[in-house]
Amino acid sequence: MKPISRGASVLVVTVLLMVAAGVLSPSLKSAVRPPKFDYHVAKLDNGLSVVLSEDHSTPIVHIELWYRVGSKNERPRRTGFAHLFEHLMFKGSQNVQSDQHLSFISGVGGDGNAYTTEDVTVFQQTVPSQYLPLVLWLEADRMATLRIDQRTLDAEREVVKEERRWRYENEPFGLLNEILYDHAFTSHPYKHTTIGSMADLEAASIEDVRDFFETYYVPENATLIVVGDFDTENALQMIEHYFGRVPKAEKSVPREIPKEPRSEGERRVTLEADNWPLPAVVIAHHITYDGHPDAYPLHIASKVLSDGQSSRIHRRLVYDEQMAISAFGQGNLIEDPNLFYAVALVPPGGSPAAAEMALIEELERLKEEPITDEELQRSKNQFARDYVIGRFTNAQKAAHLAHAAVIHDDITTADGEFDIFMNVTKEDVRRVARTYFTDDNRLVMRILPRGSGGRLLRDR
Amino acid sequence: MNRLLTRFVWVGVLVILGVLPASAQRVRWPRESPPPPLLASDVEFPDYQIRRLVNGLQVVYVGAHEQPAVNVRLLVRAGTSSDPVGKVGVAALAGQLLDQGTTSRSAQEIAQTIDSIGGGLGVGAGADLSFVNILVLKDSFDLALSMLSDVARNPMYAQSEIDRRRQQLLSEMQVNYDDTAYISRMVFGRLVYGNHPYGMPHSGTPESLMRIRRDDLVEFHQRHYLPNNAILAIVGDVTAEEAFDGATKTFADWEAADLPTANVAESPPPENRLVIVDKPGAVQTAVRVGHVALPRAHPDYLALDVAIKILGGEGGNRLGSVLRTDRSLTYSASAEIAGRQFGGDFMARTDTRSSATAEVLRLTVDEISRMQRERVSSRELDRAKDYLAGHFPLTIETPNAIAAQVLEAILFGLDLDDLETYPERIKSVTVDDIQRVSRQYLKPGLLSMVLVGDALTFVQDLPRVGFDSYDLIPLTELDFLAVDFLGAADVAEDR
Repeated sequence: MKPISRGASVLVVTVLLMVAAGVLSPSLKSAVRPPKFDYHVAKLDNGLSVVLSEDHSTPIVHIELWYRVGSKNERPRRTGFAHLFEHLMFKGSQNVQSDQHLSFISGVGGDGNAYTTEDVTVFQQTVPSQYLPLVLWLEADRMATLRIDQRTLDAEREVVKEERRWRYENEPFGLLNEILYDHAFTSHPYKHTTIGSMADLEAASIEDVRDFFETYYVPENATLIVVGDFDTENALQMIEHYFGRVPKAEKSVPREIPKEPRSEGERRVTLEADNWPLPAVVIAHHITYDGHPDAYPLHIASKVLSDGQSSRIHRRLVYDEQMAISAFGQGNLIEDPNLFYAVALVPPGGSPAAAEMALIEELERLKEEPITDEELQRSKNQFARDYVIGRFTNAQKAAHLAHAAVIHDDITTADGEFDIFMNVTKEDVRRVARTYFTDDNRLVMRILPRGSGGRLLRDR
Repeated sequence: MNRLLTRFVWVGVLVILGVLPASAQRVRWPRESPPPPLLASDVEFPDYQIRRLVNGLQVVYVGAHEQPAVNVRLLVRAGTSSDPVGKVGVAALAGQLLDQGTTSRSAQEIAQTIDSIGGGLGVGAGADLSFVNILVLKDSFDLALSMLSDVARNPMYAQSEIDRRRQQLLSEMQVNYDDTAYISRMVFGRLVYGNHPYGMPHSGTPESLMRIRRDDLVEFHQRHYLPNNAILAIVGDVTAEEAFDGATKTFADWEAADLPTANVAESPPPENRLVIVDKPGAVQTAVRVGHVALPRAHPDYLALDVAIKILGGEGGNRLGSVLRTDRSLTYSASAEIAGRQFGGDFMARTDTRSSATAEVLRLTVDEISRMQRERVSSRELDRAKDYLAGHFPLTIETPNAIAAQVLEAILFGLDLDDLETYPERIKSVTVDDIQRVSRQYLKPGLLSMVLVGDALTFVQDLPRVGFDSYDLIPLTELDFLAVDFLGAADVAEDR
């Protein structure tokens, strides 16, 4: 793909903006159109996917390596393993000592990190642009030759257990997702969260480590994204040099994930949790996956319900009726079908029953009447804002390109989704609300502070 | 021959230790050193412009034209450190209520206006400043300026909005008082700063919030929200001319007035004191250790910052090596220096499983002590300097990051030329400098130490590692404003 200059793309934006404002919706303010990405894609013989996007505004370069493996690929009784494995990737390979990966990066002024989600494991680093060869070399070295012994595994397992305590167990409301997803799912591995359970972390063995590495940390399961100050042709040569020598995997990457059956009937659960200062009410519905045509109107529904102080849920529950100190409703749109859930934190002396009814009413309202023209336009403008401010840094750009390439398996969605969102109609929003916010597909949870009298009431 | 032999011995050792490469048999891979860098390009601090309006308002402009967005931000040089005595929480409440109604727009009208254009609006107060921050797509630049002016200059402070926000804050405090991170931060602040406003809980306490009246907010606003006490930053996809014209048009009629004299209460001298807040059932203990340090504009700030980074920051982090890498006692350990207008502090922080609390406190204090006692090696210093100097281009990636550095320099009265010379100044720090500031400013015998966790699981271990005196405060009786941290009627069970 031939890059166009930035000056030209701004001009195009301005012209499109005038057209959009003047023609498409004369009575309402229309969203500003952000510039498109310039990028180049390639695939190495060993199956590694590559996405390159030049941006010379600052002499730095950001690289991310996305492995298409996350907590939904974990075997039963091995929850938390994908994330534990992410930690182990910093523990040395043939030419890199344990913990030396990040020392190399910080030694040149760079930042490095990694994260694991339900769907992917991502390794990222930003460095001054002259160090692009170093980070490519480092990533290739551990992709090819990760080296882990029992002692390292045991030590890092303890670190991950501390992470679980710190992020989730010792944090007020930190276990909300764990409780919600455990009740909402029966079969799909989204039932467990990425951090996993203490018992399963304990059970992880060095054989698990080797098996996971050989199965998932292979070129054909990885996508390399480079954004920043480099020359595409040079970068491709370097990538070919460092990653091209990683052998192709001998077996294909397994992709079977247990499906979640349709939920049959509303379920209501009341329970108590530790580190839970105030009652919480959660209404959850199973929805579709990211990239499905219904996903876009669901995203608009999230915005109507809870983006900004004038959004429906915030306005009613937090501002007008003060029945919650915080409340929102949002879709978790990821690779496999997940949840749309609304949450309200009920203040001392408040009524969980009233908050629960208000949340359900707000979801029902989306089914009964179309959202207003103003709400639709506002949501699109907010989407445009998110889109623009989500593309300031190289890292942000890389994340969007990677998401399109890996989760959607279609890099054109990195730009193409903008138009899809701009074309969502009021009727689309009502249609998806009617499709997913049904009584049969509803989970209602009350999670109360320990000792406040909650008990398992009914859980069909 | 020798090398071959070494390799055989090495493989034997690996087998004995049970070391099994995860990559066994997978690949023939060259043994090699990391590749050399490409040609480096010069890095300069990007362009920005500063002007001052007749009424004293400083205006900073940073242009950026890739994304069609503009950020406008007003910083007022008064924050929670200017709270009236006995009225902790006034600055925070005055800041938080800026967007909850003006003399011409209701709270909901403001929210609807901002939301409908897809904008973002944030208000609040920090220790030394209060702020209004608006982000819009570029076609709403004029609206952003007029909205910013309205909420900053004409807040209504309606009684109904005060009552609503106060009620929310009281509920939020119930959550905060269950959060070991929040509790430890507040207790640490009180220990380090005593009655200085920097040590006060910035949102107030349930008792102090009940004492705040509408008049307090109005008075705070009238005294401090003045053009000659504020900085306006315009950052993003507008031209310099549009930015300065817009600023002049919107703010020229804002009248200057005399400024109140700054609050310069002294922090108390450091004192060795360990306070434990008992939170039964906590699975981890929050560990915070440090003492008073330097104001941001102090000439030794840079060298002390490097020393503290060696102790617990990027490019160094002895605490991370000792507590995480070597012993798996924590997920995260760090130390940082907070430089403010009238003072500052340094704090080491980590969180560890309850049973390891005493060991972690000991190791943390020992590392502070070692930093003060021993010269750092030039290799260790070079690593820290390589990171900090090399990191410079990463700190100027976005226009907002550039503006943040300019605003910090203006707020704290730093030399703006220092922005450009940061890498050189870092490179000139010597081992002697580090030793001098460590000896001068680190006082391992006079540390404020805070532990928030399940006390029963670790207090018995403390004397064994050298901590035999402490205050033990049950969470249910914790009072941030009391000298002994205990609620009114109770007598301190002393050390």
